[in-house]
Amino acid sequence: MSFRRYLPHYLMIAPFMILFAAFFLYPILSGLFYSFHDWNGVKAPEFVGLGNYDRILVSREFLRAMGNLFFYIAITVPLGIFVALGLALLVDSFTGRWANFFRNAFFMPVVLPAFLAATIWRWIYAPNFGLLNMILGWFGVPSVNFLNDTGSMIYALVAVDIWVSAGFNMVIILAGLKNIPTELYEAARLDGASKMQQITHITIPMLGPVLFFVFTYGLISAMQVFDKPWLLTGSSFTSYGGRRNALLFPVMDMMGRAFGGVKFGEAAAYGFLLTVAIVFVTALMFALRAWSERK
Amino acid sequence: MSRTTALRGPVTVWTVLKWTLAIAIAIVAVFPIWWMFNVVFSQPGEPVSLNPRLWPTSLSAGIDKIRMIFTETGYLGAYFISITYALLTIVGVLLIASLAAFEFSLFKFPGRRIMFGIVMLALMVPTAVTIIPTYLLTSRLGWLNTMQGLVVPGLASAFGLFMLVQFMRAVPKEMIEAARLDGAGHFQIYWHVALPLCSNAMITLAILTFIQTWGNYMWPLIIGTRTEMYTVGQVVGMFNSPLSHHTVDTVMTANLLAAIPPLLFFLIFQRKIVEGIAMSGTKG
Repeated sequence: MSFRRYLPHYLMIAPFMILFAAFFLYPILSGLFYSFHDWNGVKAPEFVGLGNYDRILVSREFLRAMGNLFFYIAITVPLGIFVALGLALLVDSFTGRWANFFRNAFFMPVVLPAFLAATIWRWIYAPNFGLLNMILGWFGVPSVNFLNDTGSMIYALVAVDIWVSAGFNMVIILAGLKNIPTELYEAARLDGASKMQQITHITIPMLGPVLFFVFTYGLISAMQVFDKPWLLTGSSFTSYGGRRNALLFPVMDMMGRAFGGVKFGEAAAYGFLLTVAIVFVTALMFALRAWSERK
Repeated sequence: MSRTTALRGPVTVWTVLKWTLAIAIAIVAVFPIWWMFNVVFSQPGEPVSLNPRLWPTSLSAGIDKIRMIFTETGYLGAYFISITYALLTIVGVLLIASLAAFEFSLFKFPGRRIMFGIVMLALMVPTAVTIIPTYLLTSRLGWLNTMQGLVVPGLASAFGLFMLVQFMRAVPKEMIEAARLDGAGHFQIYWHVALPLCSNAMITLAILTFIQTWGNYMWPLIIGTRTEMYTVGQVVGMFNSPLSHHTVDTVMTANLLAAIPPLLFFLIFQRKIVEGIAMSGTKG
């Protein structure tokens, strides 16, 4: 009787829940199954226990990808927030039309597809005739092959990354700035606080939750970076990661194992390893926040 | 906006500095896009190094390049695939997510909390863990190199549901009751009462879905392996690959054409886009 009463509700959520179960829940479970099997997509999956996980953890590519990832995250996440906060404060210091103008200008790269950002920047980075080398040339700096010199490749990626994502984070921080009560600044000014003091003592503490979101979200997406390094290095499934794997990242390694090496079991296991790492980092972030709020 | 008084004052060193800085950053942000535009709209064959391409020089040369790329390469087909992919995804996501959001936000029924909770957990699961098994499922369904293979697996958007639920919660319960007393059926209440009230959120979600689908590179890369299923992203990737034989002019034309739809969307809907992102960030 009660089921009949609720039937209209279930019918309305059915399309979402069925698709969700089929293309989200089921793949996760089947991925877990494949991760314990050796499978090339054709022959029957063969159970190998933790063999896939073992093989990944000791492989040279995994270590290289993880090393790159740590280095990349350590630069791009803090620098990205710093730049975004700076942009937000800058836009906020303007009013009316100019605030809108600068906000839109800074935001414009965000709407471009990431693949496009990577391909445009490949031309800017190009040796000899690229825009960046041309500008450096005016100052007498010899041409640098930014995307083939293992010393500069990660920094080249970070620059593209910040070019793309700074505007996104800026918009979120700007929304946070709007929620800070004006009286706080007025009180601080009456107490003789300088602009810098107002920023460090009012703006940044009041932005705490927003900055936490931007930081955590940035961290999670940086851990899954794919399009930008893939296209900056001109990768394909037969050859990826750039010179000496200097721009090899975990998701690239995973995709390469699946579609280059046709090892779907190993790739599924890779996905789970990465998820465990991401869940761990996210949990750590929330624990840190709870701990710092208690203090 | 009044809080900006904290940083405002008469023309000082600070004012000059902040304008210089803002303009310099605006140039860095916009110049690569402007430069791409200029390379396309200039005489072909000029070496880029001799001409920094600070402004467009030839409209007709640009139009010729665009015509050439549409007629002599598979670009037009890819454009068609990408637009179809984006439109079908938008329609599907909006319809399916709004139906579910209507129920989850306005009604009580057994299993509501647990189902909604599971979907919200999905927001935290990285794509990395689902992409390979979802590919394997799609391939087993025989959907590789098909439009349904591109579209259907992405339709149950947890983000879309989350966003619409936030909005539908604000629909007054009295309006629903009033509609029911007037004899409206369940679906009619959804269609005539709830949907019109959150048309703003629907538009924002549509725009964000468009930008995301148009920019999706990884999924089409593995689902569409045949040239006739290539999306704009893949074609742009091919033009830019180290093995490509195309000149800078052609490659930049390919890039520009891929940039135009999202840039147009942005110029038309800038407020909605910015608000949508700000909202997803601050409520998330």
